This record gives sequence, C-alpha cells and structure tokens, in this order.
Amino acid sequence: MSSPVLSLRGVSKSFGAVRALAHVDLDVRTHEVVAVVGDNGSGKSTLAGVLSGALVPDAGQVELDGRPVTLASPGLARALGIAAVFQDGALCENLDVVENLFLGQEVTAGPLLDEVAMEKEAWSLLNKLAARVPSVRVPVGALTGGQRQAVAIARTLLGDPRVVVLDEPTAALGITQTAEVLNLVERLRDDGHAVVLISSSIVDVQAVADSIVVLRLGRTNGVFDADQVSYEDLIAAMTGATPVGRRTRPARREENVT
Amino acid sequence: MSAVQQRGSLTQVELAGVTGLSPATVSNIVKELTAIGLLHTAPTSRSGRRAQQVTLARNLGLVAGIHFDTRSLRVALSDVAHRIVAEQRMPLAPDHRADAGLERAALLLTEMVESVDASLQEVLAVGVGVPAPVDVRTGLVSTVGILRGWDGVVVPDVLEQRLGIPVYVDNDVNLGALAEVRLGAARGSRDIVYLRVSYGVGGGLIIGGDVFHGRSGIAGEIGHMIMADDGPLCRCGNRGCLETLIGGAVLLAQLQPSHGHLTMRDMITRAKEGDPDCRRVIADAGTHLGRAAANVCNLFDPELVVVGGQLAAAGPLLLDPLRAVLAERVLPSTAGPVDVVEAELGAAAEVRGALSVALDRASIAGALAVTG
Repeated sequence: MSSPVLSLRGVSKSFGAVRALAHVDLDVRTHEVVAVVGDNGSGKSTLAGVLSGALVPDAGQVELDGRPVTLASPGLARALGIAAVFQDGALCENLDVVENLFLGQEVTAGPLLDEVAMEKEAWSLLNKLAARVPSVRVPVGALTGGQRQAVAIARTLLGDPRVVVLDEPTAALGITQTAEVLNLVERLRDDGHAVVLISSSIVDVQAVADSIVVLRLGRTNGVFDADQVSYEDLIAAMTGATPVGRRTRPARREENVT
Repeated sequence: MSAVQQRGSLTQVELAGVTGLSPATVSNIVKELTAIGLLHTAPTSRSGRRAQQVTLARNLGLVAGIHFDTRSLRVALSDVAHRIVAEQRMPLAPDHRADAGLERAALLLTEMVESVDASLQEVLAVGVGVPAPVDVRTGLVSTVGILRGWDGVVVPDVLEQRLGIPVYVDNDVNLGALAEVRLGAARGSRDIVYLRVSYGVGGGLIIGGDVFHGRSGIAGEIGHMIMADDGPLCRCGNRGCLETLIGGAVLLAQLQPSHGHLTMRDMITRAKEGDPDCRRVIADAGTHLGRAAANVCNLFDPELVVVGGQLAAAGPLLLDPLRAVLAERVLPSTAGPVDVVEAELGAAAEVRGALSVALDRASIAGALAVTG
C-alpha cells in the first residue's frame, strides 16, 4: 500500500459566516482516482481551490508526501506538482492549441519561439491522452467541449505533475465529450498520476473512481470504496439520509495515520 | 452476396472458394451486381497477383453495434462493408442500470450518427450485446441476478421506441465468438469455443459457423460451470462457479491487501513487468480456466479455443497454464492437442459481433431479393 502523495488534515475554510469546509480529510495516492461528490453548496469547489492553491485554508494542514506545506498560490502548487483544471478550462478562444498549451511557458530557441519543439510536444501530450483533436493549429474556439477539456488537461500535464485536480470536467458536456473526458481520466490514472475528480454526477464518478468522498454542507459525509458502494448509498450520503461519518474503509485509514 | 455481407471484403478468388462457384461465375455475378450498384470492386493484390477486392457499396446504409460490458460501454457505427466509420468507448459504473445505460447508449449513437453527417433513418439495424444470457427471440435478459439492474428488461422494446430502428440483442460473449470466427482469430473455422475473461467470465459456442444459443440463451455460460461444491457463493445463487474463482473482482481482491486498489489493466501491466504476485494470480486463473475449458473441449471437440476479454491481454502468462491443463485433461487425439489462441479483435470483438448481427438482420433494400 503506497502512502498518500497529498493529504488534507482537518481543513476548514470560511467565507464570512459561511463555513464552506469544516474539518475535511482527504488522501490522494498515485495511480488512483479519488472522486469528490456533493450537492450544490457542499464545498466541492472550495476544496478544489484549497487543493490547487487558489484558496488558503483557515485551519488544518495540507501535507505533501507527509510533510506539511502551504499552497499559497496556484503557481506554487504547480511547482510542487499539483495541477488543476477548472470548470471553464481557462483557455484563450482565439489562440490555437499549441499557443494555449504553452501560454506563459513557451519553449524558446535563442530569442525566438521554438514552434517545432512545441508542436511536437503538443502532439505527444495529446497522443498520450489519446485525445482526438483535428489539428494543433486550429483556434481553441473551433473545438468541441470535450476537445477543449482535453487541451485543458493536456496543459496541466506539461510539468508532469503528480496530482491532477479536475473540477467538474463533465459539466455542460454532451454525451460523446463526456465519454472522451472519462476515458482521459482513466488514461491519467494508468499513467500513474493521482487524480482528484470533483463532480456532481454520481454516474460519471462511479464509472472511473477508485474511492469516493462525499461532501455534505462542508463536511466529509463518508468515504467509500467505489467498487462496493451502490448508487443509493451515495445518494443517501449526499442528501444526509445516513449518519455523518460513515466509513467503509476504517482499517485503511488507521494504517495511514501512523 | 451474403458471403460478402458476412466477411466485409474479400477478393473474387476468395469469394469463389467460399461460395464453391467457379471463378468465372463469380466474376460474372460480381460484374452484374456492381452494375446495379450493390457491390464495389477495387483492384488489389493477393499473393503477388492482381485481384479484385469486392465490398458492398457504401451508400446502402449504416449499421450500429452497442456493447454493454460490466464496466464500459462501446458503440460502433459501420457501413455495410464492415468498415467502421465511428467508434466510441465510455467507462460505466459498476452495477450500472438498464434505464440509464440504454439512454446513454442511445444518446451516444445519435451523436455519432450526426458526426458522420448521416441521419438515424440511414441506420438499418442495431445489434446490442449485454453481459448476461439473453433470449434472442424476444431480447429478454433471461436470468435473474447475473446483471443486477437489467433483470427482465426487454432491451429491443426500450431501444426501438427510443431510436425507431430494429434492435437485435444477444449475449456479449456470443457476439464476441461470432466476431472472432467471422473476422478475427478463428477465421475459416466452423466449430470453436470462445472464452471471455474480464470482470465477468463467459463463453460462446460456435457450431457450424453459427452461434449455439440453447433453449433460452444460457448455452456456453462457462463462468457458471461449478468447480467446487462448497466454494464461495456466486451472484447466480450457486456455489463454486468458475467466476467465483477467476472473475476480475475476485482476482483483484486477492491482491488488495498487498497491492491496494488495482484495475485489471494495472494487474496485467504489473504482471508483465514481473510482479510475482500478479503473475501468480493470473497463472492460477489460467489453470482454473483450463480445467473448465477441458470439460468443454471433451464435450464439443472444437477446432480452436479463442481466449478474449481483458485478461487475455496477459498473453502467455494466462495461456500457457491454460494450454498445460488442456494438454493433460483433454482426450488425446490423433489430430494433436486443441489449439489455443488469443482473440484478435481484443476489446472490440463484442461490438464487431453486434455489428455482424445487425448486418445479418438488416434487409438491404431488397438486395437479397435481386440475387435470389
């Protein structure tokens, strides 16, 4: 059993009177997809913010390889090997795929951009994800939702991060694009990345996750083994029909504390 | 005509061999059918000689194949010449439900048809494979408990209403068997046993070139051959079924304490990299599978045993122990031991079989009436 790459320990975050996260624990291992599901307002996006360095928690610790770290900014998180893709993908519609991938981290040859190297790297990244993009020289605005998501994910892979955080990657996508994104998630996992998949679609989450964390009103309302848990149990945990703190893997959690 | 329909494309010489007609007759028939736009010929070469590749004309329509597996859904769209024009795979939740699954498949198919600039009217038929025994006459999932959430579902009723296209359903392993015998590793054989080892374990029997279904579609369910009277309980309600020994979940559970949460792909990759535990688990699976397969071989004496499903990707790690058990337990024959081969179509076998069934059933606009 490998130890977690990234852990949250008792993380809390408030916005004024709103407690968006309260004492949340989360363990992420390489080669594993941890899904976070929850209703609207359950704290999913805040959690994504904390993991990616966009938000600094009020209390609790973020541990990387067992050592406490402070993710003060997304840039710092990236440098530590944690990359995030947000719902909108944050792509520039008017730039082509290569320009988007290397925006702010262009490869240069002397004073000039090394377009050839960047294009090669772009293709190798997209091929690694088995992403179907017609050309790396088309503007991102001309791509479908699924292809854009693929480009956004490919961009996070540039620095070869160990943890990839995906916030609602299948929201607002058609069925074909959803299929492509789910295939991408499987691919990331097989390549040995630790993946945090944040989503409100239980069906999508169950399809690819190894373990599922249910958030409810900012608290962890259950950690489930994705192979064992039923759709009904997840719904129950999301809506508060089961007691708080139900855990299906107690043995494994204790092991990790030591 | 039906020879071309079954095999997708072949040369005129092969066509003569398959149909038993003289090459000259075949050449005349092909010329006639090409003239009325049913066949398409293209020059090619076969063993260094010039030959005519014969395929069905593209404009005759499209057929679709849908394969529901335990953990994934695969939809493919092909023209009547078996040329795949679009294919999409999607992971599914464990224990997925019929209503949500069929809805996703229907949506996916509709989007795929649109993506090739066609309309649903051009789709002649849909073949569907589900991982449970199916009564092929009615399309009813005919067992209880094998595929929770699908019990008693009449798949064609749901899909035909949704798509407005004739739908034909069969067990996915039977479809895989059909695809392997028509297009894959067992091309040219007439009697084969196809074993599919994935999250579930299944078998398909091809007798005389056709799928053998039995009374209600349960034929070939090797996964529920009882291997140990007092073995673990199976989802079917019996004890000690082959699936309780070598089903994907069982294999992975053996590795869970030492290796954590793995998928089938992880296990196979690690076994190939030399992980001794993963190798052992796969080898044991091969041995168990061999014991069950030996009984089947003694009963049916097939020309070939084809092994497919995700675990087949382990190659010799699985097949060598399987071959050893077969050599030991199958009645010795003057023809030598039965051949065991890895499936050629891999994960796409079942969906290709679904396409084949759809093609067989599709009435190509009176074309068959023309040829008599």
